[in-house]
Amino acid sequence: MELSDANLQTLTEYLKKTLDPDPAIRRPAEKFLESVEGSQNYPLLLLTLLEKSQENVIKVCASVTFKNYIKRNWRIVEDEPNKICESDRIAIKANIVPLMLSSPEQIQKQLSDAISIIGREDFPQKWPDLLTEMVNRFQSGDFHVINGVLRTAHSLFKRYRHEFKSNELWTEIKLVLDAFALPLTNLFKATIELCSTHANDASALKVLFSSLVLIAKLFYSLNFQDLPEFFEDNMETWMTNFHTLLTLDNKLLQTDDEEEAGLLELLKSQICDNAALYAQKYDEEFQPYLPRFVTAIWNLLVTTGQEVKYDLLVSNAIQFLASVCERPHYKHLFEDQNTLTSICEKVIVPNMEFRAADEEAFEDNSEEYIRRDLEGSDIDTRRRAACDLVRGLCKFFEGPVTGIFSGYVNSMLQEYAKNPSVNWKHKDAAIYLVTSLASKAQTQKHGITKANELVNLTEFFVNHILPDLKSPSVNEFPVLKADGIKYIMIFRSQVPKEQLLLSIPLLINHLQAESIVVHTYAAHALERLFTVRGTNNTILITAAEMAPFVEVLLTNLFKALTLPGSSENEYIMKAIMRSFSLLQESIIPYIPSVITQLTQKLLAVSKKQYTFSKVLFVGIFLLISYNCSVIISFPEFIPYVFQVMSLLLEMHKNEIPSSYMALFPHLLQPVLWERTGNIPPLVRLLQAYLERGANTIASAAADKIPGLLGVFQKLIASKANDHQGFYLLNSIIEHMPPESVDQYRKQIFILLFQRLQNSKTTKFIKSFLVFINLYCIKYGALALQEIFDSIQPKMFGMVLEKIIIPEIQKVSGQVEKKICAVGITKILTECPPMMDTEYTKLWYVESSSSVGEVPSMLSTSLNAEALQYLQGYLQAASVTLL
Amino acid sequence: KMSTNENANAAAARLNRFKNKGKDTTEMRRRRIEVNVELRKAKKDDQMLKRRNVSTLPDDATSPLQENRNNQVTAHWSVEEIVKGVNSNNMELQLQATQAARKLLSREKQPPIDNIIQAGLIPKFVSFLGRADCSPIQFESAWALTNIASGTSEQTKAVVDGGAIPAFISLLASPHTHISEQAVWALGNIAGDGSMYRDLVIKFGAIEPLLTLLAVPDLSSLASGYLRNVTWTLSNLCRNKNPAPPIEAIEQILPTLVRLLHHDDREVLADTCWAISYLTDGSNDRIEVVVKTGLVPQLVKLLGCSELPIVTPSLRAIGNIVTGTDEQTQIVIDSGALSVFPSLLSHHKNNIQKEAAWTMSNITAGRQDQIQRVVDHGLVPYLIGILRKGDFKSQKEAVWAVTNYTSGGTIDQVVYLVQAGVVEPLLNLLSAKDSKTVLVILDAISNIFLAAEKINETEKLCLMIEECGGLDKIEALQSHENEQVYKASSTLIEKYFSAEEEEDQNVVPESTAASYTFQIQGNTPNTFNF
Repeated sequence: MELSDANLQTLTEYLKKTLDPDPAIRRPAEKFLESVEGSQNYPLLLLTLLEKSQENVIKVCASVTFKNYIKRNWRIVEDEPNKICESDRIAIKANIVPLMLSSPEQIQKQLSDAISIIGREDFPQKWPDLLTEMVNRFQSGDFHVINGVLRTAHSLFKRYRHEFKSNELWTEIKLVLDAFALPLTNLFKATIELCSTHANDASALKVLFSSLVLIAKLFYSLNFQDLPEFFEDNMETWMTNFHTLLTLDNKLLQTDDEEEAGLLELLKSQICDNAALYAQKYDEEFQPYLPRFVTAIWNLLVTTGQEVKYDLLVSNAIQFLASVCERPHYKHLFEDQNTLTSICEKVIVPNMEFRAADEEAFEDNSEEYIRRDLEGSDIDTRRRAACDLVRGLCKFFEGPVTGIFSGYVNSMLQEYAKNPSVNWKHKDAAIYLVTSLASKAQTQKHGITKANELVNLTEFFVNHILPDLKSPSVNEFPVLKADGIKYIMIFRSQVPKEQLLLSIPLLINHLQAESIVVHTYAAHALERLFTVRGTNNTILITAAEMAPFVEVLLTNLFKALTLPGSSENEYIMKAIMRSFSLLQESIIPYIPSVITQLTQKLLAVSKKQYTFSKVLFVGIFLLISYNCSVIISFPEFIPYVFQVMSLLLEMHKNEIPSSYMALFPHLLQPVLWERTGNIPPLVRLLQAYLERGANTIASAAADKIPGLLGVFQKLIASKANDHQGFYLLNSIIEHMPPESVDQYRKQIFILLFQRLQNSKTTKFIKSFLVFINLYCIKYGALALQEIFDSIQPKMFGMVLEKIIIPEIQKVSGQVEKKICAVGITKILTECPPMMDTEYTKLWYVESSSSVGEVPSMLSTSLNAEALQYLQGYLQAASVTLL
Repeated sequence: KMSTNENANAAAARLNRFKNKGKDTTEMRRRRIEVNVELRKAKKDDQMLKRRNVSTLPDDATSPLQENRNNQVTAHWSVEEIVKGVNSNNMELQLQATQAARKLLSREKQPPIDNIIQAGLIPKFVSFLGRADCSPIQFESAWALTNIASGTSEQTKAVVDGGAIPAFISLLASPHTHISEQAVWALGNIAGDGSMYRDLVIKFGAIEPLLTLLAVPDLSSLASGYLRNVTWTLSNLCRNKNPAPPIEAIEQILPTLVRLLHHDDREVLADTCWAISYLTDGSNDRIEVVVKTGLVPQLVKLLGCSELPIVTPSLRAIGNIVTGTDEQTQIVIDSGALSVFPSLLSHHKNNIQKEAAWTMSNITAGRQDQIQRVVDHGLVPYLIGILRKGDFKSQKEAVWAVTNYTSGGTIDQVVYLVQAGVVEPLLNLLSAKDSKTVLVILDAISNIFLAAEKINETEKLCLMIEECGGLDKIEALQSHENEQVYKASSTLIEKYFSAEEEEDQNVVPESTAASYTFQIQGNTPNTFNF
């Protein structure tokens, strides 16, 4: 393509067409541009247009097209043709910087991006003058130009923050430092001076502060890998100025926006990051400056408002303090009682306060609130940062900090007591404070697992949590109710059982609260409480202890599903499930009382024409006909439906009812098995079918056996679910009449061998061992040996040697170990080839003193004594199994 | 201008280890790799490469010169006056001018080295070195040249180009000890410039006469300053890499170094240890040359002394030796080095902690019985202590030590490590602002998981990690900018903290809407072999 006016004209027209909303015009134009982008001069034509076009829209369009072109084509991939001709490359590099700097901001950004893409490939070797070209512009005094340079530099250098150290990288950084560090420092100083000369000029300040933000970011990148000599020598200049900026305020820079951080906040945040970087990595050199920064940052915290726009700054600043106070040699900066008190009072307590924004979320966006508050996605919030600071301080000052906070907690509680309806937020903060002070380690599964011993959790519970929950009005002070319920939930392993039992009816009562957060927390707390295990690893709260509450529990749980906003509430559904499995048959008397609401609920759901797979409706109506059911309204519910169904099926004493059998084929549908959450309950349900209805399946649904085995095959293919596949397979082996699965047996083993060959895991091997031993018990050792060797000669020996002997000890679980013990004994004693072929040499059973444990196998021959022992062992084990 | 040693730079070599699990332990060893690029200021702990003689002789009663007499005369000569004096034919004037030059070059601030060089004085001074008839001028010129050679590489080059090396070597045999001492010093400065001049000094035959200076039955009979100078120059002959000094030269010097290692002067000991640290900073066969002299036990003894200037280089030397083979490492262990490490790993100097942790990282990269020795000496809690509250550089090294340990240790050893409380401090360091450290930690975590899997404690480990806030950190790393970091963290999350699917494609069945098809897929292997 010539660099001609005609071509510029053509290009202009096509660019214009790429903006057309009509795809019939737009697409061909895009196609055309793609087809010519390989031509020489194409990028130069674009550069000309973005500089000289009469129409602004064409300029912008050309700049975007240019950037994308560079992104796609600049990199030279080995063994692929060079997509941009050398002369164009040279011309682009020669012109792009001045062009970028003289362009309006919109275009400048595109070109700046393009420069960093080119720089990533060519800088420094193939673009040696880039740095000098950029640095020279610092002297221009034109901050539009300077900011362009700084922005480009930032995009070129920011990778220093995450790349691994290498000679290549460090050579580049050194080169950059040599050319850039001094001019940057001078620019920094000059810019700060200009800030004071223009202290009253808002628009000038804005430009200057954007420069300072970029300079502070560049400082971070250039200092990230190691402390450069230059910056060590000039630490005084940088740190003194950073410190000043941290303490600076200027009304003109304050923004009205409540949400979006302004330049001042951005700059201060970055300075906190810079100080944190130095404190972490260059502690020795930074030590003289650190105390000043600690003071400045904490003063900053004391004076910064509650608005959302300060959140990043505040959480950065608090995190800085948290990281410093954990370091032993800075302990002294914090240990003074007055200092601690003022940090607690002025930094921690205010940032733990429940803000307007939190209140809004509590009421209007409960899902988000729960996610943050309950599931820990609060990493960047102020509360979380404050909480981290408490934990940091507690490392050295647990006693004093606990003491100081106890004072605050008490005074906040007094404030609350004076006028609860006005001062309820004080109590919220008090509870939050106690929680963060007391919790030293926490998991989703167990709640708090390690607590600060200086906090009397039970006393606080009895005096301040229980009274709130005992209040007859469940809708009063919903935030405090939620706090109290959360307290029970997270301290469930610390609060004594009798207190937990006291709280159960209260929690059940709060299932009726209107607030979504409150009734969700109540359901969640109940669900969690039902899983707590006591000293001997048994469930702490028994069905008997729950007996007085069963009816109201079930009623309230189901009613909660009718509360506005909670018709699809997963926490409630889980609580229902957990209640069913805890309460077992004691729920049966109450089924009629809940069934009416359920039916209505179901009808409402079906009216919505929700596209459930047919199976679910079959399932639901089936269950209704059996006087029990569960609601389904969203996919999240499906697993619970299956759980309920299997619970019910397991309760059947007799053969499986025919209505259940009608459902059976639908349970084999792949669509159900694609969702991981469905798998455990579905497997359990199929196991229940096999346990109760194996004969029925064999006689009336024999054509479904391949489908059943298909499910097994699907599960066995997955590393995550293979154990579920084995559960199913074991049930098939245990319950199905042998002749009904005869024809599939070999295939089953081949599939297992494939997994063993290609992708075995410890978990797979363990399940596999249990299965073959079960098989051996069911069909006999000879049958096992025959089926192995029919797939491949000597297979049995190989499996013995490579899998069974070395791995059998890994099998865990009482029943599993017993199965293996019996199975192996059978292999040893009932399998003639074992006795008189070369297999014999593999065996020696170490006499094990405890019956029921898997004997260790060693490769020596089996002696008579051991054989005798085994016989007895076999008997003993068989008896326990049967 | 000083040496720039750096531990953890073998980035590319280290990465191999992540890709090839189960490689032999020598690949896990992290040598002290000389980086060509250094961003940091040179370290203050290092030995001086070049030294200027700035002593003021007037008060020195032992001075062979009648300094007091000349002192007034030669106090503040200009370079022009010096040139004039040196070029005169008057011996006394030449001496005075040379002395004036030496004084200029010995002043504390900004000695006018370049002016002297530009005045063309070097050839003259070199020629004065040969004036055996006038020992004072030999001495003054030797001193002046020593100080010129103490400057930049350019300045040293000027001295070498002036032909000073052979002249100084001849002076080693001077009957005047102060002159031979000055020659020793000058040669030290020249050799200290770098590999090239070091080898030139060696090539001109400096080693033998230097060693001869120490060929006395009792080293204590030598003046301590004199002995120190010779030791320092010898250490410079052992110093620098790319290339390292010729192996024959090293073998020639080593017996003397072993002797010096038993001397009782702390400066001599320090410089000897520096020399040994240079000699061990290299390939395994270089380490072997040193180790086979049997000096390791003495080195370990010095490691345990409380003199920082001696501990620093001896720790470096020990650290270097354990980058060698398992056998070389074993010699260090057998010499009792590990019992010194409790104090080194908790030393008040950060740099000692760092070097000690680095040394540990190479021992834990060794055999399981060597890891066991680390355990038996109770060093694991010290490593954990560094992870918890060491300075960043030491923490980085301790992270390597822990990762190597988890990678090579037995299940029991890993279990012990976890019981000793490694998880929390290790995971806290995931917030380190250094991608490499983060990646190495993730590797350690994955190793610990592998051990946990084998003893069915995966779930417990997951809980421990969650309890200490580690899960949050690993999750956050999934959005790290560094590709390897985010991949490693995602792998951990997928493998241990989520129910993500991973299917064996040979086994997955076909499906229809109604059911899965139970059948063997096409590519069944002909034979199974487990």
